[in-house]
Amino acid sequence: MIGLSGLCVRGGRFVVGPVDLQLAAGDYCGLVGPSGAGKTLLLQAVAGVRSPMAGQVLIDGQDLTNTPPEKRGVGLVFQDGLLFPHLSVAGNIGYGLRRRDAASLDGLVRDLGVEDLMKRSPGSLSGGERQRVALARALAPGPRVLLLDEPLSAVDGEAREELRDMLQRATRERGVTVLHVTHDVAEVFSLADTCAVLVDGGLRQVGPPSDVLRRPVDEDVARLFGARNVLRATRQPDGDGRTVLLAGGSPLRVVQRVDAAEVLLVVRPEDVTLALPAGVASVRAVAGAGGVGVADGAMGGASEPNILVGRVERVVSHGGHSLVRVMVPPAIDVSVSSREVASLSLEPGTDVELRFGAQMVWVLPAQG
Amino acid sequence: MVRRRRLEPFTLASAVVALVLVAFVLVPVVSMMVEAGAGFLGQALRQNDVRRSLWLTGSSALIATGLVFLCGVPLAYLLARRHFPGKGLVEGLIDLPIVFPHTAAGVALLTVYGRDGVLGRLLAPLGLTFTDSVAGIVVAMMFVSLPYLVDTAREAFALVDPRYEQVARTLGSSPAGAFLRVSLPQAWRGVLAGALLMWGRGISEFGAVAILAYNPKVISVLVFERFEGFGLHSALPPAVLIVIIAFVVFVLLRAFLVPRRRGTGREDDR
Repeated sequence: MIGLSGLCVRGGRFVVGPVDLQLAAGDYCGLVGPSGAGKTLLLQAVAGVRSPMAGQVLIDGQDLTNTPPEKRGVGLVFQDGLLFPHLSVAGNIGYGLRRRDAASLDGLVRDLGVEDLMKRSPGSLSGGERQRVALARALAPGPRVLLLDEPLSAVDGEAREELRDMLQRATRERGVTVLHVTHDVAEVFSLADTCAVLVDGGLRQVGPPSDVLRRPVDEDVARLFGARNVLRATRQPDGDGRTVLLAGGSPLRVVQRVDAAEVLLVVRPEDVTLALPAGVASVRAVAGAGGVGVADGAMGGASEPNILVGRVERVVSHGGHSLVRVMVPPAIDVSVSSREVASLSLEPGTDVELRFGAQMVWVLPAQG
Repeated sequence: MVRRRRLEPFTLASAVVALVLVAFVLVPVVSMMVEAGAGFLGQALRQNDVRRSLWLTGSSALIATGLVFLCGVPLAYLLARRHFPGKGLVEGLIDLPIVFPHTAAGVALLTVYGRDGVLGRLLAPLGLTFTDSVAGIVVAMMFVSLPYLVDTAREAFALVDPRYEQVARTLGSSPAGAFLRVSLPQAWRGVLAGALLMWGRGISEFGAVAILAYNPKVISVLVFERFEGFGLHSALPPAVLIVIIAFVVFVLLRAFLVPRRRGTGREDDR
C-alpha cells in the first residue's frame, strides 16, 4: 500500500505537488502525464532518493518520509534498465540479495525468462533482455512496492508486448504494489487498475483508466487521453440546460445539465460516425440556418444522435485508420478506418455527415 | 572489386597538422638520445647518484599520489555529485596549482612548511622537517600535481549516471556501499588515469621541489645541477633515463587502462 499525503518535491525551480494519492496493496497504478510533468520527481520521492519539501510517504501504513531508500522495501526500474555494467546478469540480479537468499531466485529468473542470460554481460543484451534483467533485479529482494520509470519505452514491437505481459504476471503473482510512470496512455490501459494523471506538477485526476478516459476533469487530461475534439460552446438561451451551441451556431444535445454560460465539450474521434450525407436536404431542413444542426427529434432526448454536416478539410492516414478533419465549424476530427476512407472516397472538399449520441459528449467547465 | 576509401581533405589536413605537433615532441626526445650516445643507458645506471635520484623521484611521486588519492577521490566524488555553497571556489582552488608558477608554489610552501613556517615549526618537534627532506619533496609534488588527479577523477565520476546509485540504494546499499560497489568500479579507470597523470607530473616537478627541498636531489634537480656544473653532456644521461622510464610506464599503464570498452548498458541497443 502506498499513501502520499501533501507530498511536494522540488527539482530545480520546478515543484511537484502537493500530491495526495492512496493505492491499495497489490494495486497497479499508471502515473501518466506529458513530458516535464514531474512524474519522475514524484517517483524518486517515493523511492527515497530525493527528499520531499513537504508531505509524507507512507508504505503499508508506515511513515517512511525520512527513511533512507535502502530501508523502504521498494524496487526501482528506469527506462534504460541501468544494469551495472561491471557486473554480469547474475551479479546484477543478485545485487540486493544476501548470499544465502540467492537460491530463492529460481522462480523469478524463470518467470522473467532470464535463466539463459545469467552469465552474460549487460553490454551484450538487447533492450528487452536488459529490461527483463532490471525487473528481475528489482523484484529479487521481494519489495513491497515497485517503482517503474517508463520501463517499456526503450523496447519496441513484440518484445515490448512480451515484456508487458511478463511485467503484469510477475507483479500480480507477487502482490507488489506498482507505481508505473509513463507518458503512453495505451500502457495504462493494458496494465493499470488505477490511473493517476499528473500535469504541470499537479495531480489532476485519479481513478480507473476507463473513467479518466470517459470523464476527464479538464481539457489537459482530455487531450492527454486522446480526445482531440475539445470544443468551446455556449448554453442555448431559454433551453432546458441540455442543449448547447457550437462556435458556428450548431446546437448539440448533451446529457449533463449545463448551467454555465460557456463550457467545453469533449468528443472523442472514435465516438463519431461519419457518412456521406444521403439525406442532406432533409437534415438541412431540420437544422435551419448554417447548414448544420440537430436532427429532427434529437432535441427531445439523449438517445437521439446529434447530426452535424460539414466538409472534409484533410485526411491523415495512420495506417489502419485515418483521422479525418471535418469543418462544421468548428473543426472536428473523426477516426475512420482506412478502408472506409477509400470506400467513401473521402478527400478534402467532400461533404459528410457526422453522428454521435448526446452521451458521447462530455461537458467540462470552460477554462480561462 | 573493393574500392579504396578516399581520404577526405579535412582528414588529410588534420593529419598533417597533427604530425607537426607529434614531431614537435618527438624531435627533442630523439635528439637528446642521439646526443647522449649509444651507451648512455648503461652509463647512467652505473652512476650511484643517478640511481639514488631515480628511486627517490619515483617513490616520492608515488607517496604524494597515494596521499592525494586518499583525500582527492572523495573530493572528486563530491564535486561530481553534489552542489554546495562555495563549490566553484573549491574547484578554482584545486586548479590553482596548474596556473601557479612552480617556483612561486615553492615559496608559498616554504612559508608554511619551512623552518619558520606554521606547520614547519609545529611538526619539527615530532622529527618531521620539510626543508631538504623527502617529506618536503612529497609535499611539493603533492601541491603542484594534485589537480591532475582530482580533475580527472571528478570527470570519471561525473560520467557515471547517478541513477545507478539510486538503484543500488533501493537494492539495499548505503551511500558508501553504492559508492564502493557501483560508482567506483565504473569510474576506476578514470581515477587510475588521474593518479597516473599526477605521478607523471610529480616526477617531472622541479621549481617547487628545488625551493622547498633541494636536497636530497630528485632527478630534475640532478639534471639541473649537472647542467649548471658540468654542461650538457653530463646532464644528458639522467635526463634521457627519466624520459624513457616515464614513457614506458605511461605506455604500459595506458594500454592497461584503456584496453577495451565495457558495455554501459546503453550503447548496444538491439
